[in-house]
Amino acid sequence: MSDELAAATYGLSMHYGRETALDGVDLRVPEGAVYLLLGANGAGKSTTMKVLLNLERPDAGSAEVFGLDTASQGPEVRAQVGYLPESHAHDYAWMTCRRLLQHVALHYPAWDHAYAAHLVDVFGVRVERKVGTLSKGESRRLQFVLALAHRPPLLLLDEPTDGLDPMVRNRTLAQLAEHLADTPTTVIVATHHVHEVESLADHVGVLRDGRLVAQMTRDELRATVRRYRVEVPDGWQMPPDVRVASARRPRAGREAQWTLIGEPDAVTARLTAAGASVSEVTPLALEEAALAFMSEEGAA
Amino acid sequence: MLVNLDPNDGRSLYLQIMDEVRRAIVVGTLQAEDPLPSVRELAGELVVNPRTVSQAYQELEREGVIYVRRGQGTFVSPAVKRGAGERRRKLTREVAKRALLDARRNGLDAEELVTMIRKLAAEEGETE
Repeated sequence: MSDELAAATYGLSMHYGRETALDGVDLRVPEGAVYLLLGANGAGKSTTMKVLLNLERPDAGSAEVFGLDTASQGPEVRAQVGYLPESHAHDYAWMTCRRLLQHVALHYPAWDHAYAAHLVDVFGVRVERKVGTLSKGESRRLQFVLALAHRPPLLLLDEPTDGLDPMVRNRTLAQLAEHLADTPTTVIVATHHVHEVESLADHVGVLRDGRLVAQMTRDELRATVRRYRVEVPDGWQMPPDVRVASARRPRAGREAQWTLIGEPDAVTARLTAAGASVSEVTPLALEEAALAFMSEEGAA
Repeated sequence: MLVNLDPNDGRSLYLQIMDEVRRAIVVGTLQAEDPLPSVRELAGELVVNPRTVSQAYQELEREGVIYVRRGQGTFVSPAVKRGAGERRRKLTREVAKRALLDARRNGLDAEELVTMIRKLAAEEGETE
């Protein structure tokens, strides 16, 4: 894997009035990664993408795409990026899909007409229809064609599966996987439908209230967040230096279950030293592990 | 070859793909010199990162389970018959590991589990 970064931000901060949208975000997306950017609604996912495209200006910090400064080289950056916005609305509602495709093609020297025709076919876009009359799902499919047809080295997908019915969703994600096999691409996916896209991901970043609280590879995430089944004596308290994501402690019995963040051997040793007996340590599915950073106690 | 991935399986996806290929060979749905799906095809089918499929194929190639014929694709190794015992053992190991984990979670030990498996197998034998 290349050590080069496809996208990076440095101390990115941004406010909407008194609301904090981003707070010191240091994004690092290696070239070739499929990077899942996760977080609750309003955590800063869409704003981060817009800064990468220079559609939003940060109050502090900077952003780079393939080493290009997004603020001073916006047009050069956007030429390298395929963007699927969160909004389903198109700017040119009065155009037919065919006309819009021709229009967008003019903006991209790298536009691949044969591939565009193939994508139109795969996604079932009816090119004679007016853009403004498309359903939510059809509009999304057209946006996929527009984002992929110039084979950009960076794809920014904001809630890509939103509005797609399950059948179309699977076909779309399969097409995306095939696209990645044919074209060297870095992908950033912002979503809260983690289970729909998680199998594609190899990197994960978690935003919480505008702060990037976790950023690691999929395997690191798997190693860092585990579920612990523990037997504890009456009145036992979790040591304060253990990072607790969530707890299940029944009223009766001595068995409790915690989702804890940290290197498993070290965490187990800490629990044992505190008088608990660890009976089982299990890894979690990606979504559950990522959720741990959104719910970590005392981290907000 | 049918590959199934389990998102709740804690193991890496490439390891799951490797296991599925081994399983297909053990049960005979994949045999020596059979072609495997291309990286692109399998990535599309499973909706996984093509790199994940490549990693699984590279590891399997390193183990001698499959081999690449330049420009033609990936095939099951002809030596696969010779490695059958070894692969069976590896598969058994994985199945046993899962069963043991489940047993421990339920407060049972290995001896209780093995005894009950023997008893159940014997009962099934009687009813057949």
